[in-house]
Amino acid sequence: MPYTTGMDPERSVPVSLFFTCLADAFSPGVCHAAVEVLERFGATVRVPLSQTCCGQPAFNSGNRKEARAMARKFLGSFPDDGYIVTPSGSCAAMVKHGYPVLFRDEPRTLARAREVGERIHELSQFLVDVLGVTDPGSDFSGRVTYHDSCHLRRGLGVVEAPRKLLRAIPGVEFVEMEESDRCCGFGGVFSVKHPQISCRMTERKVERILATGAGTVTSGDLGCLLSIQGMISRYGYPVKAIHLAEILAGKPKGN
Amino acid sequence: MELDANAFARNSRKALSDKALQEALGRTTGRFMLHRAAAVAAFPGFEEARERASAIKMDVLAHLDAYLGRFVEEAEKRGVVVHVARNAAQAREIAARIARDEGVTLAVKSKSMAAEEISFNEALEGAGVTVVESDLGEFIIQLAGEAPSHIIAPAVHKTREEVSLLFERHLGEPRTDSIPELVGMARRHLRAKFLSAGMGVSGANFLVADTGSLVLVTNEGNGRMGAVLPRVHLAVVGIEKVIPRMADLPTFLRLLPRSASGQAISSYVSIVTGTKRAGDPEGPERMHILLLDCGRSAILEGKYREILKCIRCGACLNACPVYQSVGGHAYGWVYSGPIGAVLTPLLVGLPGAAPLPDASTLCGACAEVCPVKIPLPDFLLELRSDARDQGLKTPGEIAGMKGYAGVMKRAGLLEAIERIAGVLGQFFTKGKAIGGMPYPFSGWTERRDFPVPAAQPFRKQWKIRRGVTR
Amino acid sequence: MNEREALFRRLAAASGGHAAGPGEPLPGGAPAAPAGDSVARFADAFTAAGGVLLRGPVEAALSDLGEMLRAEGVTALFFPEDDAEARETVESLVPFGPFLLTTAAAVREGSAAVTAGFRTAEAGIAETGTIVETSAGGKTLLPGLLADVHVSIVPVSSVVDRMEEALSALAADAPRNISFLTGPSKTADIEQTLTVGAHGPKKAIVLLLA
Repeated sequence: MPYTTGMDPERSVPVSLFFTCLADAFSPGVCHAAVEVLERFGATVRVPLSQTCCGQPAFNSGNRKEARAMARKFLGSFPDDGYIVTPSGSCAAMVKHGYPVLFRDEPRTLARAREVGERIHELSQFLVDVLGVTDPGSDFSGRVTYHDSCHLRRGLGVVEAPRKLLRAIPGVEFVEMEESDRCCGFGGVFSVKHPQISCRMTERKVERILATGAGTVTSGDLGCLLSIQGMISRYGYPVKAIHLAEILAGKPKGN
Repeated sequence: MELDANAFARNSRKALSDKALQEALGRTTGRFMLHRAAAVAAFPGFEEARERASAIKMDVLAHLDAYLGRFVEEAEKRGVVVHVARNAAQAREIAARIARDEGVTLAVKSKSMAAEEISFNEALEGAGVTVVESDLGEFIIQLAGEAPSHIIAPAVHKTREEVSLLFERHLGEPRTDSIPELVGMARRHLRAKFLSAGMGVSGANFLVADTGSLVLVTNEGNGRMGAVLPRVHLAVVGIEKVIPRMADLPTFLRLLPRSASGQAISSYVSIVTGTKRAGDPEGPERMHILLLDCGRSAILEGKYREILKCIRCGACLNACPVYQSVGGHAYGWVYSGPIGAVLTPLLVGLPGAAPLPDASTLCGACAEVCPVKIPLPDFLLELRSDARDQGLKTPGEIAGMKGYAGVMKRAGLLEAIERIAGVLGQFFTKGKAIGGMPYPFSGWTERRDFPVPAAQPFRKQWKIRRGVTR
Repeated sequence: MNEREALFRRLAAASGGHAAGPGEPLPGGAPAAPAGDSVARFADAFTAAGGVLLRGPVEAALSDLGEMLRAEGVTALFFPEDDAEARETVESLVPFGPFLLTTAAAVREGSAAVTAGFRTAEAGIAETGTIVETSAGGKTLLPGLLADVHVSIVPVSSVVDRMEEALSALAADAPRNISFLTGPSKTADIEQTLTVGAHGPKKAIVLLLA
């Protein structure tokens, strides 16, 4: 299958995969899918196995001491050069925007955090903006709608890349949902502290998804999909939440 | 207004099950958002105006003593009496004294968040003055004996039936389901008040330093009536409302109505400068401006200074999915939505409003619409961190975070736990989703399933596939 | 130390003993005025804000204006004593009535009549379709404040592009009251339903005179 990329196929691009703790534990298929897509476009993928969690839940809940410990661990887990790619807008935004806050009083770690932040990319953004991919070469098929995760869209400013990739898949009929950029209600710790409000927001999101008639809803963040799929599964709605990486890879995986 | 912010969780649950409120919220916030988006799209200079307004406000805050000093000087030159209150109690005392000294028995008030902050009406009523709210929404909720639920639309939670019932009971008007008729009833009733009141009370949208002017922006036209008709005009204003020059006003006027209601400009902008002059056929003989500190100078000093850029447009409320879900009363004080979640803890102290900074998913919709570019999500995060520093977090949360951080220190330990959870999870659920989790996660699964951990985490699968031995 | 001194001391301390003085005014600020006739833009914006625009000369507009006022149930007209343009318009409108003449003072006393208040505006602002009326020179604001219908006489020569121009003409010695009036008085406080005539005029009419 001929793939379209702006990169020189002779030159390999070194990429470290930041697979995220959530996908590690709950959706290994997302991580495999990310590797598959990256390798498809000539990336040499390394998976640093000492990585754990970027510390976002601790940071977002105001527990900065713990967040700093995890952030330090994260910064030490990745090599000093090459791209870092992650199938999560939220985790990428944490490293890019959260770490400089955590280390604002530690100039040396701050410099390291900024440097790592420069190299970190969310998957779809990396494919489109860095590798110049125009056709992801996926055999996924069906009607698909896309939920903008807040941290991918407003945190990283990535709006078009996932849409471009989805539209380029021949078997995919891409449909926009209403309010695609409205928060799904997950919000990490928020969904535990305020589950009722969180559910109300997820409910509105699921209504918008169902209104499209799509069989698949996708997003660049597993957290959102956790909440969305959780409600879909509870009520047996005729739609499935699948991570963008898996759609790009082309074969939906169950785990 | 009485502080009830610590009851956010209880109040928000109540709001979620209030059908009428839910309907009103859906209708209102959605419409505000659509109108705002259309107004912004129709005005290509919006981003530039935002940048400019933000820069002007930052300059003001860096030199608030100078700008406010200039304002006071210019206003006093034009016959205004300027008062300063350090806190709400002082402000109430001053307001009551003004009313007594001026011999006022009836005051007509237009909307003022600052006045709400100090429980202005109670203060004047304590001094024997009847205070009538003249903003239609505020008038309705005053009749109902409630608190406003939205900066711009205080009575969004009331239906026309409820309004008509109130007008029947309190004004002796016949029942009607016609909104124009209801508006007409309020107009007649309030017009009589405007013509007979001794004092008009207002807030101010802006104070102009170089002319000593006070700017009132309304659609109904009540603000300007209170500033023209009664013998005395009293404005209750936060010290941060000052802008440097009259020449800066257009920038803010281009942002405020578009952000608030999606209008290119509100129906009425009144720029009021001093008392009635020789030869003026109307205008107040006496004008008082009561400047409120009430926690603002302390905010100015610290890391939250930028929150004082706020021009009270309400756009962040309308954009906030949490506000859209629970409405304004859940926030338990004068300010609601994202601005309330930040400003309330800063004005009343975090212990009095500890749950508010948690009332957000950090989705960033508020910052996206803020006309003066306040980094609201950053401030929410900062306040959550302050809560930890001030000992306001539960021991359970801290212990949980410590345990979680401890696990994350070592990838090997994490993997071991993941594998145990995977085996147990798969065994107990047969690979299906989890339908009920124990406290504190029980709320999560009330109407949502939780996924089962994978039998093997990715890191283990990867090692096997790629033959990594370690 | 009184409260005011204490406040300014706190503010000076809070801003950290700033080295530099207050900033200079930022350059620019007003958005570029779009091409085309500012009077036409004023008319469009005013209409978009819910106003009704009639073009002069006065004689040509009288019949339409009279009909509009009758439709609103107007029975009495008033104008500032010192506003010759408004007086002339009102006096030539009386035959299109039946309209009585009343005074601002009587309206302020709470007259029960449905009124139309006439006044010559100081300026029109094309950017927003705004009418500017001020208290400069002892002029009254009551026609635009108390009347059920406000008729604003706007000379085309007074129309400016943006708010900046309107304000710079006034700011040097700001009159006690500068009022920007844009369309009728509005409220959406009941069920978000836009309704006119909350406190101010239910109808805002501009008589645009060459």
